[in-house]
Amino acid sequence: MPVIETQNLSKEYSSGFSKQKVNALNDFSFSVNEGEIFGLLGPNGAGKTTLIKILLAITFPTRGNAKIFGTDVRNHKAKAKVGYLPENHRFPNYLTGEQVLSFYGRLSGMKPNDAFKKRIDELLELMKLTQWKQTKIKKYSKGMMQKLGLAQSILSEPDLIFLDEPTDGVDPIGRKEIRDILIELKSKGKTIFLNSHLLSEVEMICDRVAILNKGDLVKEGNVDDLTKAENIFAIHTVEPLNIELKQKILAIDSNAGAGENEINTEAGVDNLNKIIDLLRKNKIRIQSVSQKTSTLEELFINVIKKDNIS
Amino acid sequence: MLTIIKNTFREALAKKIFIGYYIFYAIVVLFMVFLVNMDAVEGVMSLADEKAIVHQVETGFFLLSWNLIIFFSLISTASFIPSMLEKGTIDLLISKPISRPMILLSKYLGAVLFVFLSMVFLLGSIWLILSLKSAYWDFTFLLSILWLTFAFAVMYSIVVVTGLTTQSTVITILVNFFLIFVLCPILSIREAVVFSLVTNETVKFIFDFLYYILPKPGEIRDITNAMILNEPINVWKSSLNTETQTFTVSWMSAISSFIFCSAMMAYSIYYFSKKDY
Ligand SMILES: Nc1ncnc2c1ncn2[C@@H]1O[C@H](COP(=O)(O)OP(=O)(O)OP(=O)(O)O)[C@@H](O)[C@H]1O
Ligand SMILES: [Mg+2]
Repeated sequence: MPVIETQNLSKEYSSGFSKQKVNALNDFSFSVNEGEIFGLLGPNGAGKTTLIKILLAITFPTRGNAKIFGTDVRNHKAKAKVGYLPENHRFPNYLTGEQVLSFYGRLSGMKPNDAFKKRIDELLELMKLTQWKQTKIKKYSKGMMQKLGLAQSILSEPDLIFLDEPTDGVDPIGRKEIRDILIELKSKGKTIFLNSHLLSEVEMICDRVAILNKGDLVKEGNVDDLTKAENIFAIHTVEPLNIELKQKILAIDSNAGAGENEINTEAGVDNLNKIIDLLRKNKIRIQSVSQKTSTLEELFINVIKKDNIS
Repeated sequence: MLTIIKNTFREALAKKIFIGYYIFYAIVVLFMVFLVNMDAVEGVMSLADEKAIVHQVETGFFLLSWNLIIFFSLISTASFIPSMLEKGTIDLLISKPISRPMILLSKYLGAVLFVFLSMVFLLGSIWLILSLKSAYWDFTFLLSILWLTFAFAVMYSIVVVTGLTTQSTVITILVNFFLIFVLCPILSIREAVVFSLVTNETVKFIFDFLYYILPKPGEIRDITNAMILNEPINVWKSSLNTETQTFTVSWMSAISSFIFCSAMMAYSIYYFSKKDY
């Protein structure tokens, strides 16, 4: 059973006094499975935050419906096993770090016993905030607030965690620590739903991503599949290539790049095989044939560009 | 629910205005000590005299400060709703497995409970002082703690509605100021003052209509005072005897205030449950 499931979700915001409508989401259907780290990507204003808010019933969809753990999101009981880190979250600034965790933990339904206190200390330790535990959060820096927010979102050991730009404002070391925490959570079977602009990070930790543009789902799939560039291949040979052979290769694919022991081609599978036939006929042994990968960033920029043109 | 109430208390305690509020109360209490001391020095009094004086002090105190106390309490709690609705705070609150009506009701009850305890402190000390200084223990006066909290709770429902719809503390306070100090007092003496000036039936109807709909914090005070003085209370209609200039308050004022409060809270809950954040 999918942990998150939506059907034809649409959200229109009517902006202020003008009659103009903003389509934050159009007919959005997707699902997230248990134990996945799912990344939602998209330019600013694409509707990522709107989607999370609908999934938590903070905002209501204009059309369509959404379920988490098989329960309609409008039922507040659906949120019993959910953690959430909102973008630009704000905690009551008259509380200390420890009190913040205690307050939100209790709201999540945790019982105020010794185990609860231990769990709070454990998370403050994990986020390296132990020495700030008794300090009012007004005095926290942005990164510290972000880490406290993350601690809050995983405090009650939820099975599903929504993170809206969790590494926003966190330094590189902190970001690495957060990534490790997320991978650790995944290994415990938790499902994580992540909004982020940092594509290299998403690429490192997400299993599956969806790209959203102006409320439309433009691409969805496994990170590994998406980042495989369709027609780019590299062939490595054992024997070096002579000039005569290189010219024959260029006859097949004039754009091919041929080096000492390597051939790169972007001319598709058929031409790739023609080149391989040629090499084999010339008694050249092939060491490896591989499909080149592009980064998620390259893919993202291409997809968004294409979508904006059409 | 308890968690939200507790946090509302923390919020109240963290407010600077809260300190001013208690200093004001402390001054009032000290003033009472001083005042009652004077009485005692004047010499031996019969119990009946003491009783009359105590009653006078009590009702006089309410005449002077009832509306002020309500207004002070409203100011110190008015920001609760707008601050709860701030982006980044409300999102997180709603994401918790608590229903929206519950969130709002807890906030409301937190504020009411906070003011109730303040009243226990303020009116309780005044009662103790009066009782110790005179030999007369006026237990009816303690009921005023409940009446004052009730009057606050009624007015706070307006804070909740305006806070939810405008998300502005300032507007909330202004609306309440206008109601407590301008509109409600005028409405309650409309028959004696306004109707002698205006003859237009429609205007009269509007005044009557507003009077019956809107809460009546002033008349809740009059009920309290009537109970202290053991004076009669009408059932349905407050009346002013023009010959003796005595005003007789009615239970209806309390009942209609309660209905008003329930309606406001029902609307608030409906509004809050439907709204996008
Ligand atoms: N409360 C609102 N009222 C009106 N329009 C809104 C509201 N919230 C969001 N929008 C609009 O909906 C669209 C999607 O916004 P959303 O916050 O979901 O974007 P996002 O993908 O999270 O962007 P970012 O990457 O900047 O966080 C935007 O065009 C935004 O202007
Ligand atoms: Mg966003």
